[in-house]
Amino acid sequence: MEYDQVETDTSASGNAARSVEGWIIVVTNVHEEASEEDLQDLFSDFGKVQNMHLNLDRRTGYVKGYALIEYATKKEAEEAVKGANGTEFLEQTIHVDFAFVKPPTGAAAPRGSRPAGRNGATGGSRRRSVSPQARV
Amino acid sequence: MTTTEQDPFYLRYYTGHQGMHGHEFLEFEYSQGRLRYANNSNYRNDSLIRKEMWIGPLLIEELKRIVKESEITKEDDSQWPRKNIVGKQELEIRIGNEHISFETAKIGSLNDIQDSQDPDGLRVFYYLIQDLKASSAARVHLLTWLTPRLYSA
Repeated sequence: MEYDQVETDTSASGNAARSVEGWIIVVTNVHEEASEEDLQDLFSDFGKVQNMHLNLDRRTGYVKGYALIEYATKKEAEEAVKGANGTEFLEQTIHVDFAFVKPPTGAAAPRGSRPAGRNGATGGSRRRSVSPQARV
Repeated sequence: MTTTEQDPFYLRYYTGHQGMHGHEFLEFEYSQGRLRYANNSNYRNDSLIRKEMWIGPLLIEELKRIVKESEITKEDDSQWPRKNIVGKQELEIRIGNEHISFETAKIGSLNDIQDSQDPDGLRVFYYLIQDLKASSAARVHLLTWLTPRLYSA
């Protein structure tokens, strides 16, 4: 089964991978009450934020703790990683890095990996490992 | 700290069914730095979408944090609703020394959870899947935004 590999800019230095529209960074340890506006304010210092995802915890409704932010250029994304990683944001230390990397050179499918959708067209049942014992 | 290559962390989620539109499913799988996503819907001739991306260490750690904090590995699917005509869900996770492989029916509403034999456990499963799906959707959205040409025919 063939997968589309997400395009990477092989000319780029470092190991960060470019997405189709830009460069995406991930921010973790984001305060649970942070808003998109708060993040926009912070990350606009490094360039124009093209896109942002600030996911919520589906149970609590609060911020799950991470954000994905997209810049058009690698330079902006690099500035954001350098400038914001390890800084305080709403009294919590945030971590910032590129979200995606290039495939390892000569990356083949990891041994034992099974392609998606193998449950496939035949619809047969699959072998599965035994579930752990119930807690007492 | 283990390198990505040595880290046994593995995650796979599948939800799907056989119906009037054929085999429709959504699946994502993380293994050794690589994240794969597949979504097949034949409704109105939608076609199979498959994505493969390599994610960096910080995003991997965040994925692990979400799994750990859900405490899903303390659950057990023995009392969960069995797969049925509506379809099934599968969740397999290997993290640290723990390994789970769950199978259950699709969950249509919170009532399905409340009416089950193990509402607490099923709720943990349900919300973890919701969070993983949201996170997966965000990544796929950012990577494919306005780029229909990346969708395979």
